[in-house]
Amino acid sequence: MSSPSRTPDTGSAKAPRSRFRPTLLRSAVYAFLALAALVSTIPFFWMLSTSLMTLGESIGRQWLPERPQFGNYVEAWTAANFARYFLNTVLMTATIVTGVVVTSVLAAYAFARLHFFGRDVIFALLLSTLMVPETITMIPNFLVIRGDIIPLPGGSWLNSLQGLSFPFLASAFSIFLLRQFFIKIPWELWDAARIDGAGHLRFLLQIVLPMSKAPLLVAAMFAFIGSWNAFLWPLLVTTGHEWRPLMVGLWSLVDEAGARTQLIMAGAAIAILPTIILYFITQKQFTEGGRLLRPEAVNPT
Amino acid sequence: MALREHLRGYLFVAPAVFVIFLFGLFPILYAFYMSLYAWRVQQGGFVGFSNYANLIGSWGGLLTFVAGIGLLVLAYKVWSGAFRAVTDRGLVVRLAAAVFLIGGGLTLSLGWGRMIEASGSSFLPSLPITLYYALGTVPVQIGLGLVLASLLFQKIRGRTLFRIVLFLPYVTPVVAGAVVFRTIFSPDDTGLVNSFLSYVGIGPQGWLFESRPVAQLLFGVEVGGLLAGPSLALVSIMIFGVWAYLGFNVVILLAGLSSVPNHLYEAAEIDGANGWHMFRHITLPMLSPVTYYLALIGFIGTMRAFEHIYPMRVASAQGSVDVASIVIFDTFYRSNQFGEAAAQAVLLFGIVAALTYVQTKVLGRKVFYE
Repeated sequence: MSSPSRTPDTGSAKAPRSRFRPTLLRSAVYAFLALAALVSTIPFFWMLSTSLMTLGESIGRQWLPERPQFGNYVEAWTAANFARYFLNTVLMTATIVTGVVVTSVLAAYAFARLHFFGRDVIFALLLSTLMVPETITMIPNFLVIRGDIIPLPGGSWLNSLQGLSFPFLASAFSIFLLRQFFIKIPWELWDAARIDGAGHLRFLLQIVLPMSKAPLLVAAMFAFIGSWNAFLWPLLVTTGHEWRPLMVGLWSLVDEAGARTQLIMAGAAIAILPTIILYFITQKQFTEGGRLLRPEAVNPT
Repeated sequence: MALREHLRGYLFVAPAVFVIFLFGLFPILYAFYMSLYAWRVQQGGFVGFSNYANLIGSWGGLLTFVAGIGLLVLAYKVWSGAFRAVTDRGLVVRLAAAVFLIGGGLTLSLGWGRMIEASGSSFLPSLPITLYYALGTVPVQIGLGLVLASLLFQKIRGRTLFRIVLFLPYVTPVVAGAVVFRTIFSPDDTGLVNSFLSYVGIGPQGWLFESRPVAQLLFGVEVGGLLAGPSLALVSIMIFGVWAYLGFNVVILLAGLSSVPNHLYEAAEIDGANGWHMFRHITLPMLSPVTYYLALIGFIGTMRAFEHIYPMRVASAQGSVDVASIVIFDTFYRSNQFGEAAAQAVLLFGIVAALTYVQTKVLGRKVFYE
């Protein structure tokens, strides 16, 4: 794409000029956007509203609860075991985010700046795994985690933190994202660091990483969302309450709570809240993430 | 180059490569290996391709089906040739294309019917459902996304707020969103969608519980086989899918719009082009790499969709929402038929790869690169 480009996201100074002059058309545009925004948010409103209702209210045709029933949240948190599930998800997510960041930084640096035999082939193989559906990998991976194919320390890893997180401790997507960034760091910096006696690891830790806060944050956020929301894999490798994460817990609540919709909605709100909070805090970086996901950046060809 | 440098490289990539090769690459080979065995929880005897044969049903049917596809490809070739040749024979060529098209369609559905009849597995019926889901969500997402992104790109007050709100569903945990949509699409007449419908004078619908095709509900005609179309239950899930991914499409398209050079619009304005002309002849072609990319990842994503559909499934939908991933999961996790599930997964992977290849060939040619 060529150089003089419009940047609508950075503020009003460079905002594109309007091609809608007539007022009628303008209000139609606003009406359409408002409708889209409404459709996007109504499910959240519906969830919060229902989560604060009594059983009777949730069955009847009602928009708002008479008196908010915060007890539903207490019940979901304690009786429905969400405290436990929440802790499990936090542990799993923390493990995965840490793992992804560490392994991706190291690998991305090597793919961007080091020369070793077979580098480009290995990189292409890593990227090709992004195409592979989880339905094909889950079957052998389940056997690996059960300890059927290779002996694992401690026997089977079903119902354990290792089993939940190990397959996701590295991410081809994050490696690609970071590599794209590392490649652009000027070589002069490395020359200067070398004169000062720094090796690759120190250069990476002290010079490269402080420069790469934005892509690191994006990589961490995608790892966070991926593991916080994980469902299929945890469903396979957790059979009891002990290590069950939030999403699987929420799913089993749908069976257990039956018609008590208000309880399910309280559970859903508990599951959603952390991601939403994170999103609102970092929403600027998310948009940056969107920019990093553009085809020029992602298409390996 | 020094051996040390090579070693350092391997050391740096080792952790990531170990995990990704073990859990991303090795499983493909191992799944194929498993698919050749009678494997129920534990490995059984070698059975060759009989897992595949059970899924496909009739090899003759498959051959007929493939021949039908061949005829359709031929029709496409002849048809696109007809537009290039501006001769009197154009009409004849177009007629030939039509014959190939109809013949191909008939052959295809004949072969498909024979396969379905002979195969006892629910894997084959899941494939058109998977395709419905992909075709019913991806174009809608991109089309609506294009409209919203173009509107948001204008001088709009509260643009940032709109963007934040539209992106919200994308970051929402899928299972939690699905659980909420289950109640929104509740078949009771007090459900959100049904009570909205009652305001406009339409009776309550079964939504996720409705296994009948939408075409049948709307027009009362009953079409069987490949042309039946998605059930209302599947359409409800499609709406959820579009809801979840629309914001992502908008953000990517907005980023694409911002890289269209302004001078193109200025030049067009001098030439007297109106808003629609500019959209049609500048915005769309300049955006085509972005829409192409969205179509590609959208298609690959929906063909393997699981988490959007599994939590929305109810028994009354009678399998009308069971896309391929769901059937594979059930065969693996509920029926414990590991070998057969592996064969299904390998087939799905092959089909997605082939369709993606076709997509890059057909759509890729239409992409405009500056």
